[in-house]
Amino acid sequence: MVDERKIWAKVIGTAIFVLMEFAALSMLKHSGSLQEIWISKASHRVMAKVWGGFDNIGRYFSLKTENQNLAEENAMLTEALRHSQDLIQKASENGLLTDSTTVFSGFELIPASIVKISRNKQHNYFILNKGYEDGVRPQSGVITPSGIVGIVDAVDRHYSYGLSFMNSGISISARLGNEGAVGPLTWDGISMDGAVLKEIPLQYKYSPGDTVWTSGSSMLFPPDIPLGIAGSSKVVNGAVNEIQVDLFQKFPALRYVTIVSSTGREEITYLENLESGEEEQK
Amino acid sequence: MKQTRFLVNFLLLLIVQICIANFFRLSQYVMLSILPAMILLIPIRHGTIPTLFIAFATGLAVDLLSDGLLGLNVLALVPVAFCRVGIIRLVFGDEIFARKEDISVPRQGLWKMSVAIIMAQALFLIIYIWADGAGTRPLWFSGIRFAASLAGGYILSLFVASILAPERTSGTRR
Repeated sequence: MVDERKIWAKVIGTAIFVLMEFAALSMLKHSGSLQEIWISKASHRVMAKVWGGFDNIGRYFSLKTENQNLAEENAMLTEALRHSQDLIQKASENGLLTDSTTVFSGFELIPASIVKISRNKQHNYFILNKGYEDGVRPQSGVITPSGIVGIVDAVDRHYSYGLSFMNSGISISARLGNEGAVGPLTWDGISMDGAVLKEIPLQYKYSPGDTVWTSGSSMLFPPDIPLGIAGSSKVVNGAVNEIQVDLFQKFPALRYVTIVSSTGREEITYLENLESGEEEQK
Repeated sequence: MKQTRFLVNFLLLLIVQICIANFFRLSQYVMLSILPAMILLIPIRHGTIPTLFIAFATGLAVDLLSDGLLGLNVLALVPVAFCRVGIIRLVFGDEIFARKEDISVPRQGLWKMSVAIIMAQALFLIIYIWADGAGTRPLWFSGIRFAASLAGGYILSLFVASILAPERTSGTRR
């Protein structure tokens, strides 16, 4: 009886200790910006480890479905490869092929899978199972064959934390049609497959059903990734169109992604810094 | 009477710690604190749970009334309260709990008291310096800060022990 009471006292003591430490960390997080970053990074790291463990268990039981999906994707890619090889052969026969013609040139591709993803918040995020040891860098894009998923925000040794496209703080540069206007594309904040293409000048004509692509004008995503289909539009402030977009990317069924990282980013950033430095001198 | 005197002394030392935190910032390498010794010297008849609450309230009072980061002293002091029984058992043995004897320099001796104070002080400083630096300070800086603060804190803690010792508060020796 006495032993049981001692055990309970230890359990309650430990629980109170943990609660008090969490309270202290919470206070500390809100009292200093350095501490806020430090605690956020630590909590992301812990979260990634915990969810990574759960994910491994979950995946073990869904291997059959995954294999089936991969087999279907493999068949589709083989078909696409054959088609591409035919096109390349025809182009080389006609002398149209140049050496620089490659898909996503200037971008490094890293396959990854999603360990955890949130979908029911205004600021959604995801955690990937690849980190800086795998070559992932912050400010890399995350894509799938169906469109874009988000942007890598913080990178740890084996995991990365990213901001989902379903995040009210994210906007990406998108192009309407093959050679249409470029504007920022943001999540509509309501549905899992809805987005809004903003700031499209009124003089640009489009038809509902036109495809929306990545513009390639940022260093985050390669150009010409299909994002979705343009829907209805409305005029904002009498100056620009705001177009509803139905995204190809279906977030509920998301698991495997590709991280795209611009290989020339350092050079471009260096040039930008050089230019801004010269402007400051003037 | 004994309890009231202990409480008064504890509150006075708390004010002293607030004054140290506000007015005695000797250098960025030295952080003086008597809080770990104050928690260590709480009479052992008070178990871990009451000590945790006392540590939380004491740390919070220092954080609120001094010019620092809110939550930092709480974060570092609560583990001292949590490990207090373990430190006392390790340094002074189990007999002290059987006899329900309070710890003090005259009873346990300066050597054992110093070891206990240094252990409590070290635990407090490791967490305090680690959280205060938030991973931005180099190891050598944190190391020097830890050593200097431990030395300063140890000397101050001996004074705290002489003030909070039960012989002093009761005025008698068993």
